[in-house]
Amino acid sequence: MSVRVNILYSPGTNCQHETAYAFRRVGAEPRILALSDLLAGRARLQDADIVCLPGGFAFGDHSGAGNVAAWYLRTQLQAQLQAIKAMPTICICNGFQIAARAGIFGAVSLATNGSGTFHNEPLQAHRVVQENQSFWLAGLRGETLRFPCAHGEGRFVFDDRSGWSPALLYPDGENPDGSSEGIAGVTTPDGLMLGLMNHPERAPHSPRVQELFANGVRAVR
Amino acid sequence: MILKLSIHPKPLVEEALLRRPREVLELEDLRLWRDYYFELPAQPAADALERLRSALEDARVETVVVGQPLAEHAVQVAYLRGIVDNENDSLVTLCRLVGVAATAARVATTYTSASPELAERVRGRLLNPSIEELHLAEPGYTRLRPVGEAHEPARYDLRELDDAGLAAVGREGGRNLALAQMHALRHIQRELDLAFLTDVLLEAADSRWSDHCMHTTWLSLGNLLGRLRSASANTGNENIVSMFEDNAGVWRFYDGWSLAIKAETHNGPSAVSAYFGQLTKIGGVLRDILGTGLGADPIGVFEYTATGLPTERAPDPERPSPTQIAVDTIRAVKEYGNTFGVPMMSSHMTFNTNYRAKPFALGGSVGLIPTERAGRRRPEPGDLLVLIGGLTGNDGIHGASASSTGSVMDHASVQIGSPLEQVKFRQAILDLRDADCLRALTDLGGAGLNSGVGELGDPGGVWLNTALVPLKTSSLPTWVILLSESQERMILAVPRERIEAARAILDRHFVRNTVVGRFTGDGRYTVVHAPETTQDDIVAGAHRELAGDPSTGFSVPYELLSYRPPQITVSPVAAPPGQASAWPRLTASSPAQTLTAILTDPEVASQRWASSQYDSTVQGHTFYGPTAGRMHVATSWWAGAPLPGTPRTVVLATAFNPWLFEIDPVLATRQMFLSLLGKLVLAGVAREDICLCDNFYTPDREADGFGWLVAMVEELGRLVEAFGTPLVSGKDSSAGSVLTAEGLVSVPPAVFLSAVGKLADHALLRRNEWREPGNVLVRIGPDTSSPAGTVAARALGFAAAPRLDAVAPEGYLDYLRALAGAGPAIVSGRPIGPGGVLACLALGAIASDLAVELDPTTAGIQELLHEHRCGAIVEVPERLLGSLPPALAPRPVARLLDGPGSLQLARQELLEPAALAGWAQAWEASLA
Repeated sequence: MSVRVNILYSPGTNCQHETAYAFRRVGAEPRILALSDLLAGRARLQDADIVCLPGGFAFGDHSGAGNVAAWYLRTQLQAQLQAIKAMPTICICNGFQIAARAGIFGAVSLATNGSGTFHNEPLQAHRVVQENQSFWLAGLRGETLRFPCAHGEGRFVFDDRSGWSPALLYPDGENPDGSSEGIAGVTTPDGLMLGLMNHPERAPHSPRVQELFANGVRAVR
Repeated sequence: MILKLSIHPKPLVEEALLRRPREVLELEDLRLWRDYYFELPAQPAADALERLRSALEDARVETVVVGQPLAEHAVQVAYLRGIVDNENDSLVTLCRLVGVAATAARVATTYTSASPELAERVRGRLLNPSIEELHLAEPGYTRLRPVGEAHEPARYDLRELDDAGLAAVGREGGRNLALAQMHALRHIQRELDLAFLTDVLLEAADSRWSDHCMHTTWLSLGNLLGRLRSASANTGNENIVSMFEDNAGVWRFYDGWSLAIKAETHNGPSAVSAYFGQLTKIGGVLRDILGTGLGADPIGVFEYTATGLPTERAPDPERPSPTQIAVDTIRAVKEYGNTFGVPMMSSHMTFNTNYRAKPFALGGSVGLIPTERAGRRRPEPGDLLVLIGGLTGNDGIHGASASSTGSVMDHASVQIGSPLEQVKFRQAILDLRDADCLRALTDLGGAGLNSGVGELGDPGGVWLNTALVPLKTSSLPTWVILLSESQERMILAVPRERIEAARAILDRHFVRNTVVGRFTGDGRYTVVHAPETTQDDIVAGAHRELAGDPSTGFSVPYELLSYRPPQITVSPVAAPPGQASAWPRLTASSPAQTLTAILTDPEVASQRWASSQYDSTVQGHTFYGPTAGRMHVATSWWAGAPLPGTPRTVVLATAFNPWLFEIDPVLATRQMFLSLLGKLVLAGVAREDICLCDNFYTPDREADGFGWLVAMVEELGRLVEAFGTPLVSGKDSSAGSVLTAEGLVSVPPAVFLSAVGKLADHALLRRNEWREPGNVLVRIGPDTSSPAGTVAARALGFAAAPRLDAVAPEGYLDYLRALAGAGPAIVSGRPIGPGGVLACLALGAIASDLAVELDPTTAGIQELLHEHRCGAIVEVPERLLGSLPPALAPRPVARLLDGPGSLQLARQELLEPAALAGWAQAWEASLA
């Protein structure tokens, strides 16, 4: 069975191609959907097996990282937003920011890095949380995965612990953005949606990192 | 009405945002927040206002306050009222989504402190008066969209003017038309038997014949570009797809793809506003790549900046200091490159006092294009002229001609960049290309529409209606619309039958697009301002009947617009012969102290603070560089595999050293050329698979300036022919002298060289980092042991006679052949650069996390300071030492031991913690 992946492309998205390639490498059929196509009714996010909100700077991150794209989802695309909440979805970097501003993960925010600026680290370490049972993490629990970090507003902060479960943690001393409790990625409590600030799609030569995408494909196949 | 909402960060976020401003302003109690202003037709209903407040607020990290006026102990930094905020469109969109009908928006930043010096410090240390204004009280906006201005074109009758009269007209209103150019304009008026010429034509000619657009300095010196072109053509290299004819050079890659390479400078704008100057240099060069052939996709960006010493002030008090330029450069490069989504391949900043008045702001990019879509294309008569991207405003006026003079720079010459616009049309252009919607395209940069449209229409003919150009302001004079250097715009030639398909693609990407004219086939460059002519008229082909009055602009046959500047006879300059000076005896400091001094020099010290802010991994194809190792040591080359699923590899390296060009520009050119080839061949690239890009930056008011320029071009041409390595792209900036309050300040005559190579398989790439304990480190390559221009001379404070070593090109060719044939004998290699052999070994140890034990026969630290710039330290298995060809001139200098990273001489550790810490922190600390 072919696995269809819809990748949202908003004005300012810039990681759609490598994200599509990451899914293609693990046997999926990715499709890049322009926001304008969704608004015009030519396509719907939920018409796929997996949804991906990729990285970039949607609408220039004006008024806050991911904010304008999130408000499209919260207003004109509200039905599609509701639909994907019941689907396997991966939200990477700006996609995670969009998802957070759209309320997908509850009362969480991705704030300006503690350094006050963008941070680039090609081999950022992430420990996969043992206790999280999301299919996205199958076979990876307890491992340390290294893949690129590249963001300026990725400091994870939260009001309460409802709406999300930790999925990836920065090892002690390797927290690039000052995220609370070293949280580098989360899932929804049902494990369907994974959000992370860093970029597994940029590590095509790391088979273990690519397992994140393969896990999504296996879960729906 | 104007609505104001202030976004106050909560303490967690505020601490991060305040980190740098507190340092700069030296105010411990500093606070800051952002203010959003919205222009609305009426007061919004309470629920709508609450929705907007909620949409702007991220409640965990900020609080939004409505209608908070600027209070006591607070100042606000805002764009000048004539500037349209980049965030305008997004903010208006957000308003629409939450049911608030805003028509315009802008953003400002408020700072508060109890200090009575707040306003003075913000004005002196943060404010850029060329683009920003300081408010001490609420600004009281009544509207946010600038009104602009409009007036009928001025008319000039040149027919009877004498030279004095012509010269006066040529300089009027900030124009830089030379007398010979005014003669050419008078000739046009007489030939066409016109009663007058408009200011639209005078301004168009001013920019068309500027150094920026026409390379007048280079042409006047005997067609220097032609010399480099012919030298490159003489190489007969079959990898050349397109050379010096398009927005970028194109170099054959693999599997039906080619590489586009281009670098250009924004020196003048960066002297006025480093933030916007550097922002637009990155944006501009990325647009050059997009505008190559029928559209290339940028796969990487590189940048280099030289500015004055951090301890210096700008010679002109109105200009930003070198430190401000440095800090703003990092912010700008970060914001454009990261937002655009292109990996940083190489970045470096140099502090050299000669660049204190006008920096060297170079940006480069490499792109990927199907070979069949490469090569400069021409529109056909009937094709539609479509303007896409950002709005046109009154920013960047006279940018091209002002940057060509060097000595005069008005504040409006700064362009305002907006990366989001360009990200949007990046993918749209590739989609247009692949859908056969393009006949030709080009970017709009220096001289705006006048350059882009004028060049694309030459020689076939083009008709442009400026009344259709979408504006940032309510109105603008025709010549301003024509010359505006508003960024993020491109011009497309679209076959008429493909216009609907093209519009659908552009709309899909949210790209503003407007049909503003047509290509005519009449051989004339025609600009009119005809508000009565619509886009539909032009698409329907009715524009001939609705052509508008040429007296609102001009209509001139292209052959009359050709201009050849008066020739200047200049003889090449050569340095006086003499012996290279000897090294002084260095006895004052211990070897470890010497190493610390070398490693903390800004040319050697880690620039991680800057590079860590540049995204190096976006697009997912970077696999080597721009830094390596746990400590992020800069690599000597970058490599990426941009074709998904294939090992085909692009390798990029650069070469520049202003201290050498200060001494002997010709021998410096040679050393840089050879060192660059040496780098790429060491990386594993075959010599015939390397192409180059040149960027000359030379003074225009120094006695020998032109003579050196001619000599450098001759030298570079000889080297290109001797090594068979062509230049495929280049740019000259001949305005490196600035008359300042302290007198004339000039940059040295210099050329920045970039090189791109290709490898069939990334497994063939050599890296800088040492790999195996037990292997031997061997110095290879020719000696360049003069102390002149070395880091050691600067760091240790001794004078050296100004003589450079003359490396023999013939011998270097043998060296490159031997290097290419060395095979597995060379495991890894690090070119020798600033700081000499000593810095090379130390950086290698840091990057590799291995110990380096210097050869016990090393005579002393002094010989390790020699900067053998055309050579390298290579790692060789001991058993293969004997297989190294003699042409490499191999000399073992050290042995690798198990880590951690250290450098030992006679059992003494040179790389002490202080040296390592100094290397890691000195550069950032110099900008504090």
